[in-house]
Amino acid sequence: MNNKMMSVLFASGNESKLNELTIHRTTASLPFGGRYRLIDFTLSNLVNSGVSRIGIIARSNYSSLMDHIRMGRDWDLNRKNSGIAVFPPFVLNTAREVYKGKIEAIYTILEYIRRSPEDYVVIANCNIAANIDFGAVMKTHLKTGADVTVLCSKGAVTSSRRMVVSKDKDSKINDLYFVETPSTEEKLIGLNTYLLSKDLLINHIENAHARGLVDFEKDILFKEVALGKLFAYEVSGYAAIVDDVKTYYNESMKLLNFDVREQLFGGSGKIYTKVKDSIPTVYEDKGLVRNSLIADGCVINGTVENSILFRNVEVKEGAVIKDSIIMEGGVIMENSTLAYAITDKQVTIRENRQISGFSTYPIVIVKNKVV
Amino acid sequence: MLMKKECVAMLLAGGQGTRLGALTQEVAKPAVPFGGKYKIIDFTLSNTINSGIDTIGVLTQYQPFELNQYIGNGQPWDLDRLNGGAFVLPPYQKAKSGEWYKGTANAIYQNIDFIDRYNPQYVLILSGDHIYKMDYSKMLEYHKERDAACTIAVFDVPIEQASRFGLMNTREDNEIYEFEEKPKHPKSTNASMGIYIFTWEKLKAHLIKDEETLGSSNDFGKNIIPNMLGAGEKMYAYNFSGYWKDVGTISSLWEANMDLLDSQSGINMNERDWKIYARNTAEPPHFIGGDAVVKHSIVTEGCNIDGYIENSVIFTGVDIKKGAVVKDSIIMPNTVVEAGAVISHAVVGWDAVIASGAMVGERQTAPKAGEWDIAVVGPRVKIEANTRVAPGAMIGAK
Repeated sequence: MNNKMMSVLFASGNESKLNELTIHRTTASLPFGGRYRLIDFTLSNLVNSGVSRIGIIARSNYSSLMDHIRMGRDWDLNRKNSGIAVFPPFVLNTAREVYKGKIEAIYTILEYIRRSPEDYVVIANCNIAANIDFGAVMKTHLKTGADVTVLCSKGAVTSSRRMVVSKDKDSKINDLYFVETPSTEEKLIGLNTYLLSKDLLINHIENAHARGLVDFEKDILFKEVALGKLFAYEVSGYAAIVDDVKTYYNESMKLLNFDVREQLFGGSGKIYTKVKDSIPTVYEDKGLVRNSLIADGCVINGTVENSILFRNVEVKEGAVIKDSIIMEGGVIMENSTLAYAITDKQVTIRENRQISGFSTYPIVIVKNKVV
Repeated sequence: MLMKKECVAMLLAGGQGTRLGALTQEVAKPAVPFGGKYKIIDFTLSNTINSGIDTIGVLTQYQPFELNQYIGNGQPWDLDRLNGGAFVLPPYQKAKSGEWYKGTANAIYQNIDFIDRYNPQYVLILSGDHIYKMDYSKMLEYHKERDAACTIAVFDVPIEQASRFGLMNTREDNEIYEFEEKPKHPKSTNASMGIYIFTWEKLKAHLIKDEETLGSSNDFGKNIIPNMLGAGEKMYAYNFSGYWKDVGTISSLWEANMDLLDSQSGINMNERDWKIYARNTAEPPHFIGGDAVVKHSIVTEGCNIDGYIENSVIFTGVDIKKGAVVKDSIIMPNTVVEAGAVISHAVVGWDAVIASGAMVGERQTAPKAGEWDIAVVGPRVKIEANTRVAPGAMIGAK
């Protein structure tokens, strides 16, 4: 055993609950935190933990993902013998349709996993924003002697179909289940991220696939609970799970908190993203910005409060943006007002428009639209 | 033999830049931070690749580590190439001799073998200490059309300032008949920008000849250009009319940064087809706090701003606490300005700390022309709480 890790990531998931935000993209390529895409956090965590062989399974709408990742150079993943491999969906000879669940998806790339020299595999969805040291996860995995280590974090069940992890004092998992109704009660929530040995993974996937099973969590993990070989690894610090528009908005707004930003960006594990060579942001004479996260390349001559501006956003004189998220290339023209809005990339709000959602129901303006 | 290149660029980045004092004690002038997220050398490197020239030798000598590490394999400027790319060229030991670069011309002379590997027809000589955007390919066309041995880019300066520059005196067709270094009585206003295109064969011959001349300073301005003129070579001036600024002094460095805040200054950083590239630092977006006021300023990634900022350029990762005031100043990367500190009309180097209640610089009400009134705090210096740095003072210079 060499204790080295490779990784298999799923670019898609929860698209139906993210509505307009994922019409044009995968969940993995959803813009987050002013200059990132969600996948940047998982990729950077893996790279910072010494994982350099990463396979990404894409299902649909993955052109934005391919454009973002390119050869993986921005994450130092343009390696000669490892690096990034993106697997577009391909039809299994037997099924004649695109894979139904994670089990089938992994089955289609089993040869890639088998041929890789690493002995362990990190499996993850790309809808988590956190700063995770997988080296520490590995250490714990070896110490507990777990078959599978399930990463989780304390939090409320803020959206449906979150996986709740119940464990004993030794971190041994004694129950795993999905919750259908959101609640405010604090629980240990699964981060859809697992560490297990390659041999075990191959074994599980072959067995499950042979029996026509598709759901990795229900058909493999849940059945393992009884064997007592599942262990939980609790991620300390901020961990965002983005699985619908509301959680996207709420988790984004948490970034306006200094401590949250410190936990996500402040340590030695840097978060990398595609470099776009934007110029620094220019504040003009009428700019008034408070409590906001501002990326490079913006030109601000209006009012911005409690908001996040992605790269190259223009805020014209008299425009007022409050409690909103303006993605890359947004133009908010003179005397327009936005509140509780999420404008996707390249949206233009023309003069004197008034757009407002509500704190629990932010309004989404679809990519490229002119209002 | 590598694949032939029509034109190879050689960037002279070995100068100390003594007039920048504390800022160039640990790094060469081209490595000094500029404009929020750049270094001075980014402009020349970006101009080179944007002009379609993909092979560039960067000649380093003084404090080379920062530059070597910064340039790396040239990837941020798209200069990581299979054939060509960016090369850092420090002086090295050769079979018969090994010595420091004695002058600008000697630095090129010592790298004749590097240039010959690409068998170029032309060589572009650049210096890494100016802020400007220029398409060298147009200058190369100009050079080729005239079948010149050497073309020198010139900038029209006001006649009253002309005596501070090296001047190219030209005939009507722009052919140079005389070069004067800082003359008392200027005959023209064509200031040399230190950008030369040579037909390589001609330059090589003159470099070899100059090296054999005892007592030569081995300098382009002092030796090579006058010698080539004396030998009757065809030499032309190429007029450049955009924004161009030498940032060799504290006041010019400060002014050039301030020009980025002035839409009339002529330097437009936001041109899609002429981007200035820099090595990225992987910092999150900057945060403007609930008590901050930011007016007429530039702020970039990684900053945490909770104080008052006016008319200033704030570099990567700067922390300005609540109640601090920064006016008419440039604050270089990762510096912390604590609560209640006041910075006015100053340049603060990287990784510095201005402790709470300290006061750095102050605009003189009526500075005399050319008077040096900008306060400078060197890199990694800590200005203790409630202390005062006088206007025009320089802290941290050894």
